[in-house]
Amino acid sequence: MATIYEKKGRYDDLKLSSKVFFANKSAVAGLIIFAIYLGIGLTMQLAPGLLGVQDAGLAANPACILQSPTCAGLLPTAPSSAHLLGTAQVNGIGDVDLLDLMMKAIRVDLALSFFIVLSGAAIGTVLGVVSGYAGGLVDEAMMRVTDIFFTIPYLVLALAVGFILGRTLENMALSLVVVWWPLYARYARSLTLSTKEMTFIEAARASASGRAKILFRHITPNVLPPIFVQISLDVGTILGIFASLAFIGFLPSTANVPELGYIANQGLTWGLIGYWWTVVFPGIAITLFALAVNLMGDGFRDVIDPRRRS
Amino acid sequence: MKLWMYVVRRLLILIPTLLGLTFLMFILTHAGGTHILIAEYLNPRLPETAKNAATQAIITRFHLGDPIYVQYFYWLWPVLQGDLGFTITPIPLPVTTAIALFMPNTLMLTIVASALTWILAVPIGVYSAVRRDSVLDQGVRVSSFTLYSMPIFLIGFILLVGLGIYIQPAIGNVNPALLPQLRGTSWFDSTISVSYPTHILFFDAALHGYWNVAWDALVHALLPGLSLTLALLAGIIRILRASMLEVLDQDYIRLARAKGVPERFVNNLHARKNALLPTVTTFGYLVAGLLGGAVVIEYLFNYKGIGWWTTQAFYAQDVGAIMGSTFVFGIILVFTTLLLDVLYALLDPRIRY
Amino acid sequence: MADALVVRDLQVHFYTRRGVYKALNGATMRLAKGEVLGVAGESGCGKSTLGLTVMSLLPRNAAIPRGQVILGNQDLVNLQTAYAASAGENFRPKRNEKVLKRVNKAMALLRGKRLSMVFQEPMTSLNPVLQVGFQIAETIYFHDPALLARRALARSKATTKDMKDLLAILHERGADEKAVTDFARARGLQGIEEQALFVWRRTDIQVSRRETAILALCNEHIRPIAKKTYERVASVGKIPIELRMTPGVSRIVRRFLFREGYLKAAELLTSLGIPHAERVVRMFPHELSGGMRQRVVIAISLANNPEIVIMDEPTSAVDVTVQAQILELVKQIRTSVSASFLVISHDLSVLAEVSDRIAIMYAGRVVETGPMNRVLENPLHPYTQLLISAIPTLEGSQVAGIKGEIPDMRAPPSGCSFHPRCPFAFDKCKTDVPTDLPQEDGRLVACWLYEAKKP
Repeated sequence: MATIYEKKGRYDDLKLSSKVFFANKSAVAGLIIFAIYLGIGLTMQLAPGLLGVQDAGLAANPACILQSPTCAGLLPTAPSSAHLLGTAQVNGIGDVDLLDLMMKAIRVDLALSFFIVLSGAAIGTVLGVVSGYAGGLVDEAMMRVTDIFFTIPYLVLALAVGFILGRTLENMALSLVVVWWPLYARYARSLTLSTKEMTFIEAARASASGRAKILFRHITPNVLPPIFVQISLDVGTILGIFASLAFIGFLPSTANVPELGYIANQGLTWGLIGYWWTVVFPGIAITLFALAVNLMGDGFRDVIDPRRRS
Repeated sequence: MKLWMYVVRRLLILIPTLLGLTFLMFILTHAGGTHILIAEYLNPRLPETAKNAATQAIITRFHLGDPIYVQYFYWLWPVLQGDLGFTITPIPLPVTTAIALFMPNTLMLTIVASALTWILAVPIGVYSAVRRDSVLDQGVRVSSFTLYSMPIFLIGFILLVGLGIYIQPAIGNVNPALLPQLRGTSWFDSTISVSYPTHILFFDAALHGYWNVAWDALVHALLPGLSLTLALLAGIIRILRASMLEVLDQDYIRLARAKGVPERFVNNLHARKNALLPTVTTFGYLVAGLLGGAVVIEYLFNYKGIGWWTTQAFYAQDVGAIMGSTFVFGIILVFTTLLLDVLYALLDPRIRY
Repeated sequence: MADALVVRDLQVHFYTRRGVYKALNGATMRLAKGEVLGVAGESGCGKSTLGLTVMSLLPRNAAIPRGQVILGNQDLVNLQTAYAASAGENFRPKRNEKVLKRVNKAMALLRGKRLSMVFQEPMTSLNPVLQVGFQIAETIYFHDPALLARRALARSKATTKDMKDLLAILHERGADEKAVTDFARARGLQGIEEQALFVWRRTDIQVSRRETAILALCNEHIRPIAKKTYERVASVGKIPIELRMTPGVSRIVRRFLFREGYLKAAELLTSLGIPHAERVVRMFPHELSGGMRQRVVIAISLANNPEIVIMDEPTSAVDVTVQAQILELVKQIRTSVSASFLVISHDLSVLAEVSDRIAIMYAGRVVETGPMNRVLENPLHPYTQLLISAIPTLEGSQVAGIKGEIPDMRAPPSGCSFHPRCPFAFDKCKTDVPTDLPQEDGRLVACWLYEAKKP
């Protein structure tokens, strides 16, 4: 029988964690859906021809405009055997296949979500850990700064920042990074503080020179797993948020980028109820993704929180 | 310590928070360069010839040549006096006037949505936790999980498409067919679709006795309010159910049962109050989402509130409106957070120390 | 001597994801009326489970396949045993929950009234958002609201002359409960006897002040609505339907009765030694020290004069000085209260202070029972002997541990559960479960070593 002093195999922890994760059926379902989205995104990035799509970066083919009046001005058509999800209207160009469009959009949206969350998390976590560890004036100052960001609702702040930067897709992502990092700074700071409480005694025993290194060695394993769970949850939330930003018209009509909220926004311009599929299907795509991510996040929480395992 | 002492302390913290808000607004208005501030304060009704002089006047007034920290005070002073510049959406107006016209509608929408959320969420959340794993509980869990994952515009859109047939027409504040009878009345301004005195169409129409218009306005506010309620419900029910389950495991609940307290009172008297504490905290975070969601919903339903005004301003590149509405949203959020903190202190006697 | 509680061959199984834990494996014990029975054992021996089973406070994944818990002439666990027997292998916590609903409904009448329990942690036993007075008054409100009504009515009806006469009786006869009660009944002042006796029995104030206090128990003015409510409640015995069902009215009724309940709560706390009880009842649990909180919990358990009080590790979560206070309190209570006590603890020294008799438990069974000092002086069961020898004493001899570990209760040993660790084990121990063998002094030992010896 193994005693507590016996060294664990290198991958024992990972195996146990995977067992716990895969025991949760809905988490696995979420993982599968998430993987499908990732697959679509990667295919669009690397080999769009595989799914019968040219030019993954544009929503509607601009060449079509030049061939007006056959292209421009056509109305969206309902789902049919030819177009599984129907067609949409983008940038004045009608009859764009919605399924193709959405697949292109998933690539863009996924990339942007990851970019926003990872950047915000990176900036925020570093600042939060430094602030929590340093304490004193640095900590106070950081708290005040993050407090200031919390005085305005995030969507409104993103609008304002985006307004200043300009109405492009990249600026939308940037403004959301600006809005999002304080959350991570706060969260990382509180995690650091609680870890600091625990390991302080050990640190007191360590030599003064090694203290910083040892503390970081102790802090990171306690701070990173919950942050990772939060990142995985936020990816879904952020996608919904910036789709909503695009929906209310952040991107100008001429933007012609495949983005789920933008597609929905364009779908509104031609009368609300009549062409519902142009709004509903992108919305469902967003919902499915958020669902998958939330389920996965629950699974991750099961892994890192020992209480939930029993 | 007593509750009022806590409230006083909390009010004192309000001041630096509001100050922080002004910092943020200052950065926003000045970070993009001087043209933003100039565009904000330039009176749009001025003829072209006067614009140059006016621009110069603004530059001197705000000391735009001076170092940045000096500029802060010159910017803050007009703001404190209530001068936030001019807007051109929907018609040229001072920003503060526009805010006064549109804010009541948004407030009514968000307050009604919040109230409805709490009224519905508490019984559902408590029941769902008490009857754990029952059919109702499963249903509640699945639906709140789904609603939580849906983007706000989808909820609004589905309601619009699904129920819009029965509540025709569902957009705007009022049926355009009713507008002719309102034109020429002193209490309704059809150019900007705003009513007086409360600026909330439902109340004003009722005040003036136009019951059909009042009813119409109410019906028009129904779907937007419902969308916001559903979005909030999802978040609140999840946390309420989770914290209720945690509370029901506690020792003091076991003691309450050991005392012979009937189960109904154990749930409603002992457990619920404790479960509400983390829920109120979470609601504080959700309010920011609620206000953002109000922007989206007002855009979708063409409901004339601050959110709608913001989106219109965005298209028109109307600086004054954007900055003004951002500021207003900030103030609403700060005061709502204050209110929620006080509410939490009311519920939790431990916090008053 | 009649028995307050009898537990017969009780089995309790916990169904968890890691297996079925047989927490109680045929436990039998007897609690006589008016005595203090200590239940001792290591952690995991099932003593806490025993207490919880008596109160029917087990979680839904606990099955009771066999056994009886007899209070008076009622078996408290027959519904659970019936379900567990019918389900057998297919025990489902969800279905058990339905059974438990019925059980709880029936037990709610008993819990807090005839049976009460004090839990281990005073810190977490009290609801942090409710005042302590409320939590005490609650238990009286739900079990005996008529008492509260009568008290208030009595104070309003009583005249100064009545009080003077009552004072005379108290001076003459002392704290004679029967005399005072008769007096109260004669004058139609039921409810006053409790209050008067409480004041008279107080040890923290002088006689003259007590007299003034008793004289003050009269001519109290109450509003007519309150008066009518009290009269209605007192006459019906519990809260009548019409007052209960109307939403606004029920709140008002509750408020009146709780006001009285707070007064009684203050009385209870004073008798437990808390000074300034009138102020304490309006405080929240976090404002009180650990010792005070434990007293509040004890006050809750005694509020309705129960027949049985179960104390689960009452001293384990507090420091030594508070421990001493609590033990003093228990000794003081048992002289003034007619209940029987079941004190559960892993600390033999605590039990030695307060118990009349002691029952030692091991691995879900009771292995030895007997008078406290006899068992301590002359332990019969090998486990008891080893336990006692493991207590460090002033003599400074080497402390001997017990070799081995507590068995995994998912698969308890066959026969006598102690045989793997017992220095005297022989063949019969491995195969046959020892029964309770009577010895002299009314002692019982469950050990085959004593099979031959009969008293």
